[in-house]
Amino acid sequence: MKRFLFSLALCLLLLSTALPAQAAGKLIIYNWSEYIPDDVLEDFTKETGIEIIYSTYESNETMHDKLLVQKGRGYDLVCPSSYFIEQMIKEGLLLKLDKNRLKNLGNIDPKVMNLVFDPDNQYSIPYMWGTYGLIYNSARIKDAITSWNDLLRPEFKGRVMLYDDPRMTMGVALLATGSNPNSTREEDLQAAHKFLLKLRDPKNVFDVTAAKNVMVNEQSYIGGIWNGDALVAMEENADLRFVYPKEGAPLFLDSFVIPSGAINVDNAHAFIDFMLRPEIAMRSQEEYLYCTPNLETLKLLDKEQLDNRVLNPTAEDLKSCVFVSGVGEAKDLYARYWEKFITNAK
Amino acid sequence: MTENRKLKTISITIVCIWLGVFALLPNIALLLVSFLDRTETNFFIPLLTLDNYAKLLAPTFISVLLKSLALAGISTLACLVIGYPFAYILARTGERLRPWLFLLIIIPFWTNSLVRTYSIYTILQNNGVLNALLNRLGLVEGSFSLMYTNFSVFMGLTYTLLPFMILPLYASIEKLDLRLLDAAKDLGAGPVRAFWHITLPLTLPGIAAGSILVFLPSLSLFYVPEILGGINYRLLGSFIQYYFSKGNNWPLGAAASSVLTLLLILLALFYRLASRHTDDGGSPVALTGGKRPKAGGRA
Amino acid sequence: MKKLLYAYMGLVYTFLYAPIMVVIVYSFNDARLSKDWKGFTWKWYESLLTNQPLIDAAINSLILALCVASLATVLGTLAALCLHRYRFPGKTLLLGNIYLLTLSPDIVMGISLLILFVAMHIPLGFCSLLIGHVTMAMPFVTITVLARLSAFDENLLEAARDLGASELKALLHVLLPLTLPGIAAGWLLSFTLSMDDVIISVFLSGPGFDVLPLQMYSLVLRSRPSVNALSAVMFCMTLALIVLSQFFANPRRKTATVQTPDAKS
Repeated sequence: MKRFLFSLALCLLLLSTALPAQAAGKLIIYNWSEYIPDDVLEDFTKETGIEIIYSTYESNETMHDKLLVQKGRGYDLVCPSSYFIEQMIKEGLLLKLDKNRLKNLGNIDPKVMNLVFDPDNQYSIPYMWGTYGLIYNSARIKDAITSWNDLLRPEFKGRVMLYDDPRMTMGVALLATGSNPNSTREEDLQAAHKFLLKLRDPKNVFDVTAAKNVMVNEQSYIGGIWNGDALVAMEENADLRFVYPKEGAPLFLDSFVIPSGAINVDNAHAFIDFMLRPEIAMRSQEEYLYCTPNLETLKLLDKEQLDNRVLNPTAEDLKSCVFVSGVGEAKDLYARYWEKFITNAK
Repeated sequence: MTENRKLKTISITIVCIWLGVFALLPNIALLLVSFLDRTETNFFIPLLTLDNYAKLLAPTFISVLLKSLALAGISTLACLVIGYPFAYILARTGERLRPWLFLLIIIPFWTNSLVRTYSIYTILQNNGVLNALLNRLGLVEGSFSLMYTNFSVFMGLTYTLLPFMILPLYASIEKLDLRLLDAAKDLGAGPVRAFWHITLPLTLPGIAAGSILVFLPSLSLFYVPEILGGINYRLLGSFIQYYFSKGNNWPLGAAASSVLTLLLILLALFYRLASRHTDDGGSPVALTGGKRPKAGGRA
Repeated sequence: MKKLLYAYMGLVYTFLYAPIMVVIVYSFNDARLSKDWKGFTWKWYESLLTNQPLIDAAINSLILALCVASLATVLGTLAALCLHRYRFPGKTLLLGNIYLLTLSPDIVMGISLLILFVAMHIPLGFCSLLIGHVTMAMPFVTITVLARLSAFDENLLEAARDLGASELKALLHVLLPLTLPGIAAGWLLSFTLSMDDVIISVFLSGPGFDVLPLQMYSLVLRSRPSVNALSAVMFCMTLALIVLSQFFANPRRKTATVQTPDAKS
């Protein structure tokens, strides 16, 4: 019996060492789903010999909670949105980057550098950005759609789609009610909450993951959508149109960061630098159709791509658009109103 | 005999340690956390409070709970109504055909539930198969949507959980002694009376087992309402999951989960009551898999 | 009347199978999001083969399910043996516990273990998933084996003991082979439970160890076209598994007490 127990223990020991070993030569990435093309990952491995272990998330909130549970350990590279970075820095979840190791950093558009959430880009390097604009089905809706308030029109009842992403959707509601999408004033949020409640129809869809599908299959006729998602949906359904509302649209910026407990820090830097290369950034952009902050990549695009205002918004389009940023103390306020909104479900 | 004793002690110890550490202890911890406070960066801190339970009494949670119970209840009922006649017919089919028909029920039972939920999504989707079919039949015109409604969630739950109802029902109906029914007939009882007084009471354990196996998962399978119902259908499971993996409020989620635990205990007691006169005893699960346990070791 | 009954059964079977068949048909549809038929293609199956994270997750799941099934079978069988053969204080409690565990909602198991691991500073990953899945699967093994044991002829063990076999020897050479079908069925059940589990994995998965159900979950949420292909593959694998399990636990064989000819002698 002792021998049996001993061999059992030995087996377990062997198993535990054989499995999730974080040896050198690895890179554990935790990223949005559908955000880096598979072949880009493969090419990185081919070039450097570093093996990539890749897992994905569907929302900033999930990513943040998983990282918090792990106390920043386990992952080597994550890609949160700008408005989460500020909070994660405060919580000590992020590692300061060594910019000397990022030779291609100069390619990045200064417009998206040194933003409020990370003033000297000590922790984060922009990967892609985009707009959250209006999408509608021109076969179903004949007149021009120009405003977020068009969502409230009675004929669209039950046909509206928005994300279940608190910051994006609250951002839209704030814009629609004439506030800044980063407002921290309670009365603004109250008004925004009221706006959202008017959209609380059982047939309206609030789902970031199903968005494209819902628009393509005409479950909804109008809604808010990321420009990349919009372009993919438009390829499938030619009736779809994307517009920048007159109140402005929330902008997002997703950046690479290294969690504080990362083991393969060198590899993470190598990967960020790899992703900063113009031709690599271009492949990401062509696959997922978001905006690239890489100025060298923009030079590689052809005229058609450059003229596509969904993919490459003009200064005019972006006039009243605002990057969604962290809201500090008001975070609880946002959470409260958002929870009030979603749990008030009919 | 000493070897015997040693063997006995070792095996009982291993089993008890595993269940103690990984089943009992976590549940105690869960209960404890439901009475704790939290901060921004700590999932729970050692500060006792009844706040979480107070929050459960707020209308938001009550509405989630009521809706969950209603949907789970209706789905259970639907499974029972569809499943009972089915199991009955199945149990009475000829020996030759029955294993094959039984196999056809086992297959969906073993199929990944995500696959099955997704297949319902494909059917119900706007411009989906059902839509096209009804258009073709001329019953409705144009595209319409069944998704994101009470109906889609109900369909999803019924579809995913139906085999869990049929299997225990089948097990208890199959065991039914037909001579009892004959005797009833001889004594002048009509089919309805015979069903009411003999078949139903004797298959009650199967009904109870199936109902539990459908009802509890209906409350906790969060991905079915998530995929088929969207944000409008956050049921109890989604509520708990939200606070544990997105909303960062473990104590509140833990408090909400205590409702599930309470229901579990109540239903287990109810099952014991329902099966008190039969030798099935113990667990409703014992009836799935088509096995006929005699509840070995039941004291 | 009989025709009506069979028609009813046919209806229920259609309800159960039609959606899956539709998914399988769509897995050959050459369209990304639309549900209109746009031509036959193998490309979604090809896309499964080039999706490295998905393949990694599938391999992880396979390793995990093998370990879970084996460990759960050992523990579950041990528990069944204890409950069947021995008298000890707290036996009813243990049995009740095991029964309750089979009913315990996965979500409660997931979050309670998450709390335990976080409180004890155990990192999430392979080990946490293993523990979670084993705890979930083990009671099912116990019940399956117990069912088999209850049909076991105790005299056989007595005979073995009389002939001078030690307890361990008697268990290993007489009891174990005769309960093997139950044990094998329990193993397969644990394997499937682990391969299927989304709920526990959502909470207990950690960095560097992604599992198939979670990848699948994300694909389904975004209703990627490759989901159809993946669903079809998984459905076929289930079919294969069932054929295997029928081989182990033949419904006509399991009701008999002891069947092997040597045991009868």
